[in-house]
Amino acid sequence: MDSQMMTGNLAAAWGARLADVDYIPAFPITPQTEIVEALAKWCARGEVAARFVSMDSEHSMMTAAGAAEVAGARVFTATSSQGLLHAFEVLYSISGWRAPLVLVNVSRALAAPITLESDHNDVLAARDAGFLQIHAETCQEVLDSILMAYRIAEDERIMLPVIVNLDGFTLSFTREPVSLPDPEMVRRFLPPFRPSHLGFTASSAQALGVAVIGGTSYAYFRHQVHLAARNALEVHGEAAESFHALFGRRYDLVEGYRLEDADDVLVMTNAGASKGKAAVDAARTQGKRVGLLRLRVIRPWPAEAIRQALRGRRGVAVLDQNLAPGQGGILYQEVAACLYHEPARPRALCSFIGGLGGQNLSAGEFHAIVEQTAEAGVAGSGLGPVLLYSAEEHREMTQLQMLAGGHA
Amino acid sequence: MVAVRFHGRGGQGAKTASRILGTAAFLSGYVAQDSPIYGAERRGAPVAAFTRFGREPIRERGAITHPDVVVVADASLLEDPGARVLEGARAQTVLFVNSSLSPDALRAHLSLPEQVMTRDVTGIALQQLGQREAISALLGAVAARLVGLEWEPVRQAITRELEDLAVAPPVIEKNLTVAKQCYDSVEPTGLHKGGGQVISAAALHNPIYEPPTKGTARISAAGNSVLRETGGWRTFRPVLVAGKCNGCWLCFVYCPDGVIAMNQDDRPVVDYAHCKGCQICVHECPTHALVAEREQEGGEAWTAK
Amino acid sequence: MWQRETFKKIKQIPREEHVLPGTALCAGCGGLEALRLAAKVLGDHVVYVNAAGCFTMLAAYPYTSFKGSWLYTTMGSAPAGAQGVRDALDVLIAKGKLPKSEDVKVVVLGGDGSTYDMALSSTSGALHRKLDFYYICYDNEAYGNTGMQLSPATPYAARTATSPCSVQHPAATAQEKKNIFEIWRAHRPPYIATVAPRYPLDLEEKFARAAAFTGPKMFLALSACPTGWVYDPGETPEVAKLAVETGLWPLKEAINGVVTHTYIPKRKPVEAYLKLQGRFRHLFEPTVHTDAIRHIQERVDAYWQQVTKEQA
Repeated sequence: MDSQMMTGNLAAAWGARLADVDYIPAFPITPQTEIVEALAKWCARGEVAARFVSMDSEHSMMTAAGAAEVAGARVFTATSSQGLLHAFEVLYSISGWRAPLVLVNVSRALAAPITLESDHNDVLAARDAGFLQIHAETCQEVLDSILMAYRIAEDERIMLPVIVNLDGFTLSFTREPVSLPDPEMVRRFLPPFRPSHLGFTASSAQALGVAVIGGTSYAYFRHQVHLAARNALEVHGEAAESFHALFGRRYDLVEGYRLEDADDVLVMTNAGASKGKAAVDAARTQGKRVGLLRLRVIRPWPAEAIRQALRGRRGVAVLDQNLAPGQGGILYQEVAACLYHEPARPRALCSFIGGLGGQNLSAGEFHAIVEQTAEAGVAGSGLGPVLLYSAEEHREMTQLQMLAGGHA
Repeated sequence: MVAVRFHGRGGQGAKTASRILGTAAFLSGYVAQDSPIYGAERRGAPVAAFTRFGREPIRERGAITHPDVVVVADASLLEDPGARVLEGARAQTVLFVNSSLSPDALRAHLSLPEQVMTRDVTGIALQQLGQREAISALLGAVAARLVGLEWEPVRQAITRELEDLAVAPPVIEKNLTVAKQCYDSVEPTGLHKGGGQVISAAALHNPIYEPPTKGTARISAAGNSVLRETGGWRTFRPVLVAGKCNGCWLCFVYCPDGVIAMNQDDRPVVDYAHCKGCQICVHECPTHALVAEREQEGGEAWTAK
Repeated sequence: MWQRETFKKIKQIPREEHVLPGTALCAGCGGLEALRLAAKVLGDHVVYVNAAGCFTMLAAYPYTSFKGSWLYTTMGSAPAGAQGVRDALDVLIAKGKLPKSEDVKVVVLGGDGSTYDMALSSTSGALHRKLDFYYICYDNEAYGNTGMQLSPATPYAARTATSPCSVQHPAATAQEKKNIFEIWRAHRPPYIATVAPRYPLDLEEKFARAAAFTGPKMFLALSACPTGWVYDPGETPEVAKLAVETGLWPLKEAINGVVTHTYIPKRKPVEAYLKLQGRFRHLFEPTVHTDAIRHIQERVDAYWQQVTKEQA
C-alpha cells in the first residue's frame, strides 16, 4: 500500500476509480470540480474504463446517473450545494427506482446569500430522499467510504443509492496522506454489479419507475425503501468487518473518541469533528472528562449506537453545522428523539449551531461549549439552540454593515 | 347527514352532478360538502364524486364508503369491477341507474340493493339535447329529488355550475328544461341513515422487506395492459355491416388503441373488450361499413354522417 | 419532390401491435394514434424514456402497454434519462457485459409542456452531445394531463384553462406557438420531422428514414386532443386532417438542417379548422373575431409564401 498526499476531492475521485465504475455523468460546481476534472482526465487516458459525460445541469446529471444505473451500469457522480438542490426531485426518483449509485456531495452552504464554504444544510436537506448517507472526517475516509458505499448499496438487501459527504474546503481542498487500496483487493471487497431487478435488454423488457394509482401501492413501495435503508445497519456492519480484514481500517456507524469515562460528550459530524477532538484533548488536559461522538452514518439513523454511546452521560452537546430556521439544529432533533425512551438518558441535551458557511469555530468557542454543557449537565436542564457567534465576529460584522450602508 | 355517491365515466359529468347537488343542498340551508376523486382517469374511464349534506358540521372527508344514495351515470359501470359501484352499499341504500332497462332486467344478472330505480337519462339527453355526454344537470336533478330537495335551489345550482363551466346561456336553458323533466320523473325516497356503527380495531399487517424484484415499482409482465378491459367506456360500439366493407384498412390504421385487426379476408375484427368507442373508425370508413350502435341498451342505431 | 421509398401503400403498414390496448388514455387520443404508428416501425426492442405527461399513464402499476421497456423520469429531464440509458448500454456492450444482440433503441416520449418548456435545456444538451436517440413530442398544444393549461405550444387565440378570454385579450391566448422545430434545427441534428397520424404513410416513412441516422432523431407529432380541444372524438378525422390541409401544421423534415416539406396542402381557409373545436368557439360566438381569424390566416399565408420562395 502506498500512501500519498491528496485532497479530499482527489480521494473521492480515487474512490470512483478503484470501484471500477462504468459511467460518470458530470456537471461542475465549486468546490466539487477537482473530482470531475480528475475523472475526466483518467477516462480520457483510459486509466478508468468508464464513460465520462459532461451534462447540462445537475438535474440532467442526476437523471442520467440514475437512468444509467437502472440500465445496469455502476455509476458515480458528484455535486455540491445548489447543485444537489437543483437535482433534488431526481434524488427521490433514484431511490424509488432502487438504483444503487454513489453520489459524492461536497458540502457547501446554500444561497442566499450565495457563498462557497461549507455547512451541512445541503446534504441534510436530502436526508429524507431515500439515499443512505455517510459523512466523512478525513480524506482517507472519503475514499474508503466510497468503496464501502458501493458494497452496501449494491447488496440485494439494500439496493439504495448512497451519498458520501465531505466538507467543502476543509476537506475537499485539503491535502493529507491517503493510502490507496490495492485494486485487486478492492475487487475482492466489491463484487461485480449484477442487479436482479434492473436492466433494459432486447430479450427481457421491463417498465421501471412506473406510476402507481392510490395509496395502497405507493405506501408499500415507500415502506420497502424504509425497510431497505434499515437493513443497511446490519449490512454496514458486515462491510465494515470485511473492509477491516482486507485493509486494516475500521469504520462503524458512529465513532467514539475518548468516550470511555466521559461525563460530557460533544456530538459532531464531518471534518469539523477533527477540531472537536482537539477540543476534547484540550479539556482533558484540564482534568475534564469529555469525549466526542462522531455521527458517520446519518441514514439509516444509527439510533441504537447513539443510545449506547450517550447512555448515562451527564451533559451532551450536539454541535450542528446547519440551521433549520424556526427550529434549530437538525441533528439535535434526531438525537433527542432517539434518547426519549432511554431510561439512562443524559441529564442535559444541549444544542449549539456553529460553522455556518465556513464560519470559524475557535478553540475558545469549543471551550465555552464544554463549560456550558458541563453546567447544564450538573443542573440537569437543557440548553439552546445556542447560535455560536463570537464577540470578535460581531465587531467585524458591525464594521461590514457600516461599509455596506455607506457610513464608514 | 346524507351521503350521495356518483359514479360515471370521465366526460359524463359525475363531478358536476355532485357539485350541483352540493350547491343545491347549500342553497337549501344545509351544511354541504362535495368532492371528486382525481385519478389517472380519462374521458371514458370510471370516475366517482361525492356529496354530503346535513344539519350538523360534516366530520368526514374524501371518498364516501357507506353511501345512502348511489347515482350511476352509466349502466356498464355496474359490471366494471374497477368502478366499485356497489362498494359499501347496504340493503337500504338507494341505487339510481341511468339505463333504459327496468330494475328487474338489471337484477336478472346482477346482485343489487332493494331500492333500485332506472331512467334512460342518456336517451333523454340524446333526444332533447342532441348529445350523448355531459348529463350532469340531469343526474344532479335526479339526485336532488331523491334526497328531497326543492326544485328552486336545484334550478339555481344547475345554472351556477354550468355557468362556471362556461356553458352558453341557451344551452343552460335547455339543460334546465330537461333537468326538470328528470327531476319530476322520480320521487323522494325514504332515506335510512346508517346508525352508529360499532368500529373495532383493524387487523394490521407488519410490512417486511421483500427482494427488489418484487419491492420496486416495476413491471416485468410486458404488454399486460390487455388484462384491463376498457370496453365498458363505450356509449356506442362500432358494428360492421355485412357486405359493405371494401377492405381498405383505414379503420385498422387510424384506431388509436389498436383494437381493430384485419382478418385474412381484409375485414376488420373489433376487440370489443378494449374498444373505447371513440368512433374514429366509423367516421373514417369510406363505405359506411362500420356504424355506431348504442351500447347494450338496444336503442336505435346511430349512423355516423 | 419528396417521395416515400419504404411506405408506398397503406397495406404496408405492419399488422403487429407494439403498444397494447387497455390504456387509461382518453378515447380518441391523437397522441396515442401517433405513438402506435411510430411503434410499428420502431418495434419492441425499445426503451421508452418518459417525461411527465399524459403518456405517463401508459405504464401504471401493475400494467404496462408496452412490449418494450419503459422508464419514467421527470418532466424536465427525459432526454438526460435517455443519455444515461444509451451510455450505459454502450458501456456494458463495450465491456462485454451485455451482448450486442441485447441492445435496444432509446426513445424519449414528451408532451409539448415538457418539450417546449421544462425539458428544453435537457433536450438541447442531448442534441449538443449528439445522443443517438429518438425524441417523440406528442403535441396537443397545452398542458393536457393537468387539464389543458397554456403551454408555449398553444396556438394564438386558443382558449385554455389559464389563457381565458379577457378584456385585454378577447381572443384568449395572445402568444404565438413557439417554433420548436427551428429551435431543434439550430442544433443541426441529423433528422427532424413533423408528423400527423392522419397522414400515416408520411409518418411511417419518416420513422423508417430516421433509422438510417446515428444521433438525435427528433419527431414532432400533431396530437389532436378531443378532450382538450373540445370536440367529439369521432370528429378526429376532420379536425386532424384540417390541421394539415389548412397549412397550420406543415409536414416536413430536416436532414442535417436542410428542410423539405413532405406534403404541400392546397390550404383550406383556417376558419374551417377553427370552427370545429371548442377551444376556438369564442372566435365565432357570440360575435365573430374577424381580426383574430385574419391574423391566424395571415401567419399561415406568410409561412407558405416563404416556403414557396425558398423552393423557387
